[in-house]
Amino acid sequence: MKIDMKKFAAWFDDRLALTPIFKYMTKKEVPQHEHSFWYYTGSSILLFFFIQIVTGMMLAFYYKPTLEGATDSIGRIMTELPLGWLVRSIHSWSATFMIAFVMIHLLAIWFTKSYRKPREATWMTGMMLLVVSMVFGFTGYLLPWDDLSLSATKVGTNIPMAIPVVGKWVTQLLRGGDDVTGDTLTRFYMFHVCILPLVIFAILIVHILLVQKEGMSVPLKDEIAKKKVPALPFWPNFVLREVVIWFVLLGVLLTIAVLFAPSLEPTADLMAPAPEGVKPEWYFLFLFQTLKIFPANMGPVTGEFVAVMLILIAVVAIFFLPFLDNKPEGKKGKVFQYFGVAGVIYAIAFSIWSLL
Amino acid sequence: MRKTRISFFLVMASLVLAPLAAAAQQTGAPPKVKDKAQIKGRAFGSPLARGLYSRASTAEVDPLAKPGAPAAVEAAVSAQAAPAQEAKPAPALTRDVNTRLSTAEADPQAKPGAPAAVPPAAKKPAAKKAEVKRTEPIVPAYSGIKEKTAVFVFYVWLWFAIAVMIYFLRLWIKEADRVYWAKYYEPEESPRKDNPLAPVLGD
Amino acid sequence: MRIDNAYFTRRKFLNSILGGWLGAVAASFISPIVKFVWPPYKEPDEVKLVFADYSGMQPGEVKNFAWGAKPGLLKRAQDGSFIAWVGVCTHLDCNVSWIPDKKQFFCACHDGWYDENGTNVAGPPPKPLRRLESSVEGEDLFIRKPGVGAKT
Repeated sequence: MKIDMKKFAAWFDDRLALTPIFKYMTKKEVPQHEHSFWYYTGSSILLFFFIQIVTGMMLAFYYKPTLEGATDSIGRIMTELPLGWLVRSIHSWSATFMIAFVMIHLLAIWFTKSYRKPREATWMTGMMLLVVSMVFGFTGYLLPWDDLSLSATKVGTNIPMAIPVVGKWVTQLLRGGDDVTGDTLTRFYMFHVCILPLVIFAILIVHILLVQKEGMSVPLKDEIAKKKVPALPFWPNFVLREVVIWFVLLGVLLTIAVLFAPSLEPTADLMAPAPEGVKPEWYFLFLFQTLKIFPANMGPVTGEFVAVMLILIAVVAIFFLPFLDNKPEGKKGKVFQYFGVAGVIYAIAFSIWSLL
Repeated sequence: MRKTRISFFLVMASLVLAPLAAAAQQTGAPPKVKDKAQIKGRAFGSPLARGLYSRASTAEVDPLAKPGAPAAVEAAVSAQAAPAQEAKPAPALTRDVNTRLSTAEADPQAKPGAPAAVPPAAKKPAAKKAEVKRTEPIVPAYSGIKEKTAVFVFYVWLWFAIAVMIYFLRLWIKEADRVYWAKYYEPEESPRKDNPLAPVLGD
Repeated sequence: MRIDNAYFTRRKFLNSILGGWLGAVAASFISPIVKFVWPPYKEPDEVKLVFADYSGMQPGEVKNFAWGAKPGLLKRAQDGSFIAWVGVCTHLDCNVSWIPDKKQFFCACHDGWYDENGTNVAGPPPKPLRRLESSVEGEDLFIRKPGVGAKT
């Protein structure tokens, strides 16, 4: 029986009329210039996100989100189920890769100044996606319920307390009470599996639609010179190149996941003191260190309050970066480049410092 | 553009080779057991924890964890002989806070309409399990030489498959580029009514 | 060798090779996923009970034990030996109970009745209760699936 793709396609087209989408995919063009390989970062994030969804669903089949069952269920996944340790390892490492690529994507957009007009909204939705990804990582980190993740969560959910007026309520909302308990675990699971995916899907769809609507950006100097940059069609040329990158990244991810599978620390104990060497995941390390360097009391307020306020102001400033950097081609634009470099150095230096 | 492409692939290659090199170095003498204070947490996963904790294999899984395991039933039935021992295990402080919130306490026989044939023994393994708190970390380890070989074979297969894929994809990319530069498919000029997906799927 | 006009083009060849290889790789990734989500829990082959708990049973008395995640029924026959069944109705898997007054097993879901030998006598159950073998070895009472020998 010969499957006639043409008739198949025509049947769907009569009913769904998806042809405009396919026509758009062939019409969409991706500029080719010296910085065009940074275009691959966006779809790489999607690759890792997809891997997270698949491995997350597989883990959720056997994970028990209650205080008694959580760590034992993960122990069971790792020891009894076929390749369970690998699924968990892929989920854990893919989270790392996804957030790493989100940051690389952010830096690429920053340094190519792709956030300038008319792409401000894309930048802002992107910042929201960054925050949601990091919250994903934070909520997921508690779920094994071992002693390191319990301590990290206690510290992490304590930080909003420093915010005036609403801080206490935010902490209570996150923890399900005043303290971290079994309710916190179930609540974080709910965030991780239901609420955050819906939120991230909503923001992601807006982000991707905006990217399609505005088209791919070209480097600043080409735009100033009004040069016509050679372009490749998105389908099939650029997509095929993306697939190559995806396969290489998949291979790297699987290699690292097999070689460096995470272990499961002893069960969390709500009454025990924090274990030595407690620290959050790597993408929070620089924030962790920033909190640590402020002294306990600075005048009328605590050091923690000052640190949290500074971090919040920085995040808001980065969120509104397209509006701050409204003359990207001038000298002001160069200043923001230096800010970007300074930010990267600060983040890396503080992360390394917190490990020493 | 060539410089960035070269540097890009250098970065990718180092991403691939670095963990392999690190792993190769680690198969030498196992690291000496360090003081726990020196362990820097989970930030970078198990390379720092290798060789420091006892390795758990599937043989060491707690039999109480498996439903229906003979040991579990034995413990359960012997507990059945003294039903008064339904009370919570001895007060390790840890459990006090937790047992209040525990959902394992719902007595199935307290529910109206529960079939009388549900053996009370089914509840006991839960109470017994609450006592066993794991204090040793579970480090993923191969359960035997067979699994280790299987993983190694998987490795080789994975990279071979990727290499073959990339080889074919490069051919396809060249073909697609050639088709594009030859302006073979211009969606505006040749609306294909018979096969709307022709620009995407080909003929 | 060059063919001027061919139906089977270079494009088609590449497509099929790539598609085939993609399919093979996808299958090799999907099979571990499927293996992972396939349910791992199986019924046990044998269950070891403490004989002391059951040695005091009167003839005609029925007690429960745990057969994996299902209830098992243990009855002391008139001659002192044990009969064991899986205490699950053969109709739609509800747990059955022993009604001592009527000397029958009763399944509450759809009014199924089994007599004291486990044979289905009334209601929808199509087959008798599933029998298990029991043997007393020293201090232990072993309940096994029929055909499973003693594990040394």
